[in-house]
Amino acid sequence: MLELMQLTKRFGDTTAVDGVTLDIPDGQMVGVIGRSGAGKSSLLRMINRLGDPTDGSITYEGREIGTLKGRALREWRNECAMVFQQFNLVGRLDVLTNVMSGRLFHHGFATSMLGVFSARERAFAIRALDRLGMAHTALQQTDTLSGGQMQRVAIARALVQEPRIMLADEPIASLDPMNAKLVMDALRRICREDGLTVICNLHTLDTARTYCDRVVGMRDGRVVFEGASTALTDRAAREIYGAEADEAFSESMTSTSLDVVPVAAMVEAPAVAAQAAR
Amino acid sequence: MAHTSLDAGTGEDAVSMFEAHRAQLRRDRMAANLLLLALFVFFLGWSIYISRFYPDRLAEGLPRIFEYFASVMPNLELANLFEGRGEDGRAVPGSITYWYADFTKYVVLIGETILMAITATILGTAMALILSFTAARNLSPAPWIGMMSRRFLEFCRGVPEILFALVLVFWVGIGPLAGVLAIAIHSAGALGKLFSEVGENASMRPVDGITAVGGTWAERMRYGVLPQVMPNFISYTLWRFEINVRASAVVGFVGAGGIGAELNQVISFHSDDRVTAVLLLVVLTVTCIDLVSERARHAMIGKESMR
Repeated sequence: MLELMQLTKRFGDTTAVDGVTLDIPDGQMVGVIGRSGAGKSSLLRMINRLGDPTDGSITYEGREIGTLKGRALREWRNECAMVFQQFNLVGRLDVLTNVMSGRLFHHGFATSMLGVFSARERAFAIRALDRLGMAHTALQQTDTLSGGQMQRVAIARALVQEPRIMLADEPIASLDPMNAKLVMDALRRICREDGLTVICNLHTLDTARTYCDRVVGMRDGRVVFEGASTALTDRAAREIYGAEADEAFSESMTSTSLDVVPVAAMVEAPAVAAQAAR
Repeated sequence: MAHTSLDAGTGEDAVSMFEAHRAQLRRDRMAANLLLLALFVFFLGWSIYISRFYPDRLAEGLPRIFEYFASVMPNLELANLFEGRGEDGRAVPGSITYWYADFTKYVVLIGETILMAITATILGTAMALILSFTAARNLSPAPWIGMMSRRFLEFCRGVPEILFALVLVFWVGIGPLAGVLAIAIHSAGALGKLFSEVGENASMRPVDGITAVGGTWAERMRYGVLPQVMPNFISYTLWRFEINVRASAVVGFVGAGGIGAELNQVISFHSDDRVTAVLLLVVLTVTCIDLVSERARHAMIGKESMR
């Protein structure tokens, strides 16, 4: 169980994350939604400790995460994998090396500097790539791949870390609907098959509804909604998105659900939103 | 209703405000340019005065250059040009053999010079590689380490290699080792600066990626930064090698090995056709190496831009 207690992040005068308290049980798929600037990314980056909390605490199975240093911190990052909006792969290395870099925590100085990976690690990396349908690109230079392919490679890299938690920061925000669906399907499958906790920042409502067990809505750094994805009513969505609510609804047309949402629903969505506004 | 047409709108509208702002900017820029021009002219005049860079002095000195060159020109005679050594082992005056009597010695020394440049470049690059990562503002593990690295690199490149060579000759003795170390230290300073600037322009996304998998600082550099900057590093290293070949021909003047010692000796003690013999070989070697290395560098850059 991952527990966040009054977690706060301030950048100078602005408070990006404001006293977030959440309990996330193992194996749950959680979607964090909210408009840009709501503090979703800052929250995720604090959990992986890419950003340090200003206040509050993060605990995982009773272990305090917020104050870890040195090797213990790197061990936590290895346990708590991260997938980024811009993939953050090394474009000039081949796909296989990028995936195997997920094993770096288990390497000593010499083998990592020389780039020596064992046959077992290679096999593990290939199996991870194969799960995401990317094994055929293993020896290709990474920056020759498309965005959707890169994101799947990034998920493979996260998988070979053998993590307990997988964080995904807007994993589909720079992908087309087809690739967005592939990536979300993969995250969902990993959550179900491997029992990983997946925490995923999402921009669009319907993706959260479709894929997540539980939705956390953030606005101005605070949690304004928290519950099962089925409980995410239009009224709740309006609370999360504020003035941008209509936009968030219509964005459903450009997200993962092209082939799921019937045409009628797409036309009706703004009308429903307008009704909720009254 | 506001219409967008060419003639519409006069007075205090967006256009006149923009025009006023633009005129103000232009006036400011003009003033700055005039100031810079005045400064430039002042310093140019001052330096001409200090160096006494006057046309009559130049004209006066011009013939003396030719006088010196005339004294070191080989005396080649067409009839004897390709004469070998006689039965007594003496070369015939006027032949190339006579001019290049010490050819083997020169070639050995030039070989030594090139080897010195290669070793110095390898040592200097290795040092620059490590220090560039600690010196780059965005990559440095801690601000004070970055500061120290930058100061150290400044010292290394601030002192000319000939000075390092002079000191090192006292320390490790006369010979190529002093030269190699001197050139290596100076190249480390120069390359370290260039490398760290390349590193400062590298994308931090891959670095974040390696941080997120639990990588150490060294692993972030090795996997996140090095693949991005490698082509630039190689290109700069080859360019530095060209410079180092020239430098290793000079450090011999203070006893730090290579062809420089020979050049110094023929200039100071003989001042005859042997000066041109050595100079010609040095110029040929440097030109050849520059050409080859330039092609290699361009091939590398060309390959890059194709992607």
